[in-house]
Amino acid sequence: MIRKDFPKLAEHYFEERLANGLVVRVIEKPGFAKRYAFVAADYGSIDAEFILNGKKYTTPQGVAHYLEHKMFDLPEGNAMQEFAKYAGANNAFTSYTMTAYYVECTEHLEENLEILLRMVTTGYFTEESVQKERGIIAQEIRMYDDSADSAVMENLFRIMYQNHPARNNIAGTLESIQDITAETLRLCHDTFYDPSNLTVCVIGDVDARSIIDQVRRQTPEGKPARVERCYGAPEPQEVQNRRIEKEMEISMPAFAIGFRCPDAGRGRDAMRMELIGELAGEILIGESSKLYQKLYDENVIDADFSVDYERMKGMALLELCGDSEQPERILHEVLQEAARVTDTGVDRALLDRLKKSVTGRRLRGLDGFEGTCYRMCAYYFDGAEYLDYPDIYAGVTAEDVEQFIRENVKEELAFVSVIRPKREKEEKSCC
Amino acid sequence: MNHRTQILPGVYLTAVQSDKFKTGCFSLNLLRPMKKEEAAANALIPSVLLRGSVQHPDIASVSARLDELYGASIGTLIRKKGEVQLVGFYCDYVQDEYVQEPVFAPLMEFLSELLLAPRLENGAFPAGVVESEKQNLLNAMLARINDKRSYANSQLLRTMCAGQPYGVPRIGEPEDLDEMTPQSLYAHYEALLATSRVELFYMGSLAPERVIEVLRQTLKALPRAGQLVPVGTTPAPAARSVQEKTERLDVTQGKLSLGFFTDITANDPRYPALVLAATVFGGGATSKLFTNVREQMSLCYYASASFEKFKGVLVVSSGVEFSKLETAKKEILRQLEACCEGEISDYEMESARGYLVSDLRIAMDSPGRLDDFYMGQILLESSATMRDLSDAIARVTKEEAAQAARTLRLDTIYELQGVQA
Repeated sequence: MIRKDFPKLAEHYFEERLANGLVVRVIEKPGFAKRYAFVAADYGSIDAEFILNGKKYTTPQGVAHYLEHKMFDLPEGNAMQEFAKYAGANNAFTSYTMTAYYVECTEHLEENLEILLRMVTTGYFTEESVQKERGIIAQEIRMYDDSADSAVMENLFRIMYQNHPARNNIAGTLESIQDITAETLRLCHDTFYDPSNLTVCVIGDVDARSIIDQVRRQTPEGKPARVERCYGAPEPQEVQNRRIEKEMEISMPAFAIGFRCPDAGRGRDAMRMELIGELAGEILIGESSKLYQKLYDENVIDADFSVDYERMKGMALLELCGDSEQPERILHEVLQEAARVTDTGVDRALLDRLKKSVTGRRLRGLDGFEGTCYRMCAYYFDGAEYLDYPDIYAGVTAEDVEQFIRENVKEELAFVSVIRPKREKEEKSCC
Repeated sequence: MNHRTQILPGVYLTAVQSDKFKTGCFSLNLLRPMKKEEAAANALIPSVLLRGSVQHPDIASVSARLDELYGASIGTLIRKKGEVQLVGFYCDYVQDEYVQEPVFAPLMEFLSELLLAPRLENGAFPAGVVESEKQNLLNAMLARINDKRSYANSQLLRTMCAGQPYGVPRIGEPEDLDEMTPQSLYAHYEALLATSRVELFYMGSLAPERVIEVLRQTLKALPRAGQLVPVGTTPAPAARSVQEKTERLDVTQGKLSLGFFTDITANDPRYPALVLAATVFGGGATSKLFTNVREQMSLCYYASASFEKFKGVLVVSSGVEFSKLETAKKEILRQLEACCEGEISDYEMESARGYLVSDLRIAMDSPGRLDDFYMGQILLESSATMRDLSDAIARVTKEEAAQAARTLRLDTIYELQGVQA
């Protein structure tokens, strides 16, 4: 067990890499009633195509999410009922790049962690139970289908990426889930839930040594597989379609604008690019920018508007989203602003102020057990240490931000997804 | 651990001292009776105030000031608790000891500036600001339809409490924005400041005495009328025949919401029993609704029950395939019947109890949940703590839970169906 200190953040954690390859991290937080355990697999919806021992597998879209649902099955019953015996509030999620299971409790952390570990390392799939789950997952997919927030992003990714699997919905489609069988789940569990592909993170009033000992006792030896993941060919330079629209039962048009950025790679370099991308977004159209002010004053955007840099393995983008009647106007204005910044350079005082702001907000983010576990695992899978961000941040310069804007905020890299209200059309047709 | 003090006339502070967090939490709430005439205006004012003060006259300068305060955030906070509307602001900020300069006191000064010295034009709020915030609020009202799950529940409550204060949505109704002018809104703002009881909540590392000192100073210019507007919630109405409402929209998943009234509210000795009964019925992965209606029968993607403790309203909310709406309704009511009959297994009872007790203990570590809980207790004029509630839940028997469940009377059923029959 080693102790890692981050004095700039007043944080430290204990870590051990077990013989089976699993990494355990524990943050001791004396005085908290809540204890939180998080187990993450480095496996998400984009990992559907892979080469295992020289053989290529193409699994159906939505298999990581389907697997997440079925991991709760244990030979002795449903894990949720086991958690309930020890008042463990548990849940799970599947993202593009991660599947995670977590439990929060006050007492009985040992019992709850044991259930969590057994559940994640036990692949117990019967055809009958896999079949039964299909209806539940189909309802979940229908629910997302009715959500404009999901649809606007899914559509954006679909036009931005011809090859990268982020173009597929995390839960898959009503059709793709029909092809998922117990055998598919077993293959994916064997491949991606080996201890060497898992990370355990525990936060609360706990003793790091005993948590690590428990994880060592309660996880199997494992057989690390040689897996190569496939994220598709490089995206074509010539793009046919950079606009997508859909109509739904909503009140106001929702939009998402994406600027396709180069893959940021892994590790510290990628983290640095994230910080640069975040600052670039803030400078162009963040809340304290002139452009935000102008668009807000003219009712083009509202307080729900947001700008973010997002990346995952094999892709990255600067995204602007919110509700607006005039997404094309927003795109036009942001391109103009980018040209202006490229011309005149980034205001140094503004950059310093934004750095101060981001520093404070990240510091506050460390209070959340859920978010901290998630980030620690996500960055670990990506070959980086999340808590190193203050040093990386200090090295980001105005020139970095200018370069980012110059290279990425360009019309030929922009994609627009819009969801329009259904009613508009009816009104038009009745006039 | 906490205490509530009157720091200025009609201004009360509840302060919880804790050094567990890097983030400090503060909320300022003006208390108003839930009324159709003023709900939208009350909800609009915080957004208008955030648009700028005399010294920081626009969004860019307000945001820049917050950036300087290490990315502190001031957001609008509009809550509805029973028939009381709480409007104001919440603040999240890095506590002083983690950065190189103080944040809390300057942030409170800034908040007070936004609240008390708004930028004006011809003696009223700037017309452009009012117009754009009206539009935003209208959009938020219309956006209720975007999330079908909460839309179904809000349509249920509207039908259930039509014409009553409890039926007024949290942020009011679109038509109440029509007549509003910069002048009328400004006049309402002056009355709102002068006649509303103010409740403040602080959780952070500073000693309460220091927090009181800062706030007395920063809020000293708050105008105070002699008479403050009283607030409170009336009991649930008497039983009547079941109301039904069906809507059709172009959706792929149906929604079914059922609304029940009960005479039990948070100060009733039977309240802990009802909370436990509601949890056994529909409160989590071991509830009857989840295990039977969702898992065993695969009828719904979700089916859960939640209890509103001020008015005494239980809402069952579910997402169902259109063809199964009727079956799901029958099954949901059958599960409630089982609760009323006391058909509750030890496992169901103890897992619900364990979940509630654990959840309350976890909430004690959450500044946001504590703020919300204490605001509720203040409205209920109750001094009970989360610990008291958790102790009471620990003692509830199955018979008491069943008895509490029997007080629930089905009042309204709401269905959201697709357009293709």
